[in-house]
Amino acid sequence: MSERRIDAVAKATGIAKYSADIVLEGMAYAAATRSAYPSAVIESIDTSEAEKLEGVIGVFTAKDLPGGNLYGRRVMDVPILVADRVRWLGDRVAAVVATTREIAEKAAELVQVTYKELPAVTNADDAIAPNPVVIHEAPWDYKGAVAKPEMGPNIQALEIHGSKEKAEQALSKAAHTIEATYYTPGDHQGYIEPQACVVDYKQDGSLRIWATNKSPYRLREQIGLVFGLDPKRIEIMPVVLGGDFGGKGAPGEVPLCTALSILTKRPIKMALRYNEDLLATDGRHASKIKVKLGIDKEGHFVGGTFEALLDGGAYAGFKPVPTVNLHGIVDAAIAYRMPEFYVESKIVYTNNQPKGHMRAPGSPQAAFAFESALDELGKKSGLGPIKIREMNLLDDGEVNAYGDKWLEYRGKQVLALATNQPKEVEVPKGWLYGEGIAIYARSMPAVPKTSLRLTMQEDGKVVVEVPIPENGAGGQTVVREMIRTGLGIESDKIEVRQVSTSSLPTDAGVGGSRVSLGVTVAVANAIKAWKERPAGTNSVEVTTNEESDGPSGAYCAQLARVAVDPETGQLKVLEIISAVDVAEIVNEKAHQMQIDGGAVMGFGFAVMEDLLEDDARVWAQSMGEFKLPNMADLPKLTTVLLRGGKGVGPNNIKSVGELANCGTGAAIANAVTDATGVRIRRLPIKAEAIYSGMREGNN
Amino acid sequence: MKINFTLNGKSAEIDADPMAMALDVIRDLDLTGTKEGCGVGVCGACTIMVDGEPVSSCICVVGTLQDREVWTVEGISEKMPDLIEKFIDNEGMQCGICTPGQIMAAAAISSVDITSEEDIKKYMAGNLCRCTGYQTILNAVEDYLAIN
Repeated sequence: MSERRIDAVAKATGIAKYSADIVLEGMAYAAATRSAYPSAVIESIDTSEAEKLEGVIGVFTAKDLPGGNLYGRRVMDVPILVADRVRWLGDRVAAVVATTREIAEKAAELVQVTYKELPAVTNADDAIAPNPVVIHEAPWDYKGAVAKPEMGPNIQALEIHGSKEKAEQALSKAAHTIEATYYTPGDHQGYIEPQACVVDYKQDGSLRIWATNKSPYRLREQIGLVFGLDPKRIEIMPVVLGGDFGGKGAPGEVPLCTALSILTKRPIKMALRYNEDLLATDGRHASKIKVKLGIDKEGHFVGGTFEALLDGGAYAGFKPVPTVNLHGIVDAAIAYRMPEFYVESKIVYTNNQPKGHMRAPGSPQAAFAFESALDELGKKSGLGPIKIREMNLLDDGEVNAYGDKWLEYRGKQVLALATNQPKEVEVPKGWLYGEGIAIYARSMPAVPKTSLRLTMQEDGKVVVEVPIPENGAGGQTVVREMIRTGLGIESDKIEVRQVSTSSLPTDAGVGGSRVSLGVTVAVANAIKAWKERPAGTNSVEVTTNEESDGPSGAYCAQLARVAVDPETGQLKVLEIISAVDVAEIVNEKAHQMQIDGGAVMGFGFAVMEDLLEDDARVWAQSMGEFKLPNMADLPKLTTVLLRGGKGVGPNNIKSVGELANCGTGAAIANAVTDATGVRIRRLPIKAEAIYSGMREGNN
Repeated sequence: MKINFTLNGKSAEIDADPMAMALDVIRDLDLTGTKEGCGVGVCGACTIMVDGEPVSSCICVVGTLQDREVWTVEGISEKMPDLIEKFIDNEGMQCGICTPGQIMAAAAISSVDITSEEDIKKYMAGNLCRCTGYQTILNAVEDYLAIN
């Protein structure tokens, strides 16, 4: 039985401390002056009016910076303060330090900048058109770059899997093919806590940082690189994160505040207003994905091509992975037996908001495109949505399109579960009813990298120190559960404590659906070390960096039930059924919330979320315009767990955090087609699009 | 300007610009359980209770609080332990940033007529949560209403 989460009391009573709650002695506040144009050359900056405002401590521009000016999660192409050329509206051109946040924000508006406007690239297609406006002259020169001159201008990353020639050859022999292009918009992670940080630089060269950041060990390396500091002298302090979903992995305003703390010799706090967070952080890439799939007479895949063009925005520095690409795009066919599959994932520079990671990077876009196309092919071939999936889902013992043989494949079982649930929803009178299915599969991370320390106090209490930030998913509660069962002691005798980066050697950060796996390995090692500890010691420390079992992965099948008003095209999602492939569950409630929260996020992506990016601007300028699902918007959420799977690690688990938010868009779009005959190939799904489709007989 | 009101059951006098936002004034009193979210009165993370009704403190100027009864999550935790307990028992939270606001909205739920689950959902629609999918929050509010 799971016991309640360890942070429940602190969060329910308001005493949990988040970055914005941190106040230090002598602290000053920072605000940034951001670019007025998406593409321009700075001709002059006049800070005199801002400096005159009472309470202003200093106004700084690129020439004042004490260290390097470029940072990034891998590609170091993001300027702390722009010296010459701005590339998007979120670029910082000056920064103010003042005695209060309000004064800093007001002074930032008083900085006078004259620009010479340049033409802007406002969408991904224009970035790769012949003779485009070149956004970075030599992107391959940035530290960490994966772009190469031979890729041509405006490329952040290009990842190719398979052979296009072979795939097209296979497709030419197909009995049925589908070719279509699908679009998804730029999205924001929608965490409710805007990004914030407090940075305290001491004259001895040490640095303490409290930040809305989920990868503390990476953050200290990133800051060390920019300022030439030894990462060991940078201490990332434990603090609670108010949501993440991929958005709290970048350095945020920490590089700027580090510079400002060095310059002003004070602790510096900067907290974004949510409006600024929507404009100036790094959400989900808008996508345009051209899909071609083919099947033989019986319905087996013969091959497919999957060409994704992703709008990476002004900088590549918000993607941490070695390829700088989005794994979800390349993995588009991972659930199926697919003989010849060609994927091209091209991320381009534009003058739009730079994009980063959001809950299963690339997967919601890829699943929308692939699972919609598969449905179209099911319809065209007469096989229907269920049969065409059954024909092609992998069976145990098979090798997937990427050359991996998972421990098991349970796609067929979750598909059957999702499609066999009783229909208990009520369809509004006169409305059209439809059902749609989508499958998503995700591989498990292979190498859990973390550390922890276990100490027995004199009063018999076990203190477990962990380096894992709590972003809400419940990683620290999972540690407590594991220690409780592993050592056979009561919950109230266990205290899990997040410590700073100076207290434990390493952690990979929260993300990639890897936390539970990482901690289960680390805790198992710690328990073993504890049991074997030399007499007289009361503390053991372990570092984990070993290959787990596998390869393995998990499946999720989602069925959406929808109703459409034939008069207006209004869409009502009645129910989302998520059938989820699981092994052992460490904490039932936390596990369920990952599924519910994921399904609701997928629902939001499908029907309402949109940064409304156009003309190089984010037009969703507040949470009034950027819509997130609220409680009244909810469809009925049904979860069916397919238990008994073969998991990985000492606790036999499968990851769950990024399973239920990926297929939802396609499931709902497929249900709309089932209800109305109208095929929607662009998210979010609008009543207007359904209505005009019904009028014009689009299908 | 001096502004007098009751805060968490005690009389309070603050010296503030009457046009300052209640959210900032309350947080400066070290009552940081009231959270800043959207800043435009949409997400509900900053919800406080004023004369028994839920108010978004990020769009409430502090001058309007003169002579009124104001509660924040810190006071409600002591005044309404049953409610807090229901959120804890149901784990009506993940990251927790919206939780004080959810609890403050729930604390003021008697200001409206609730006869169905739909009523609760509509009433709570002003408090966004990105983590949970809302089921555990709904359960917490329902459990609380069942005992009150």
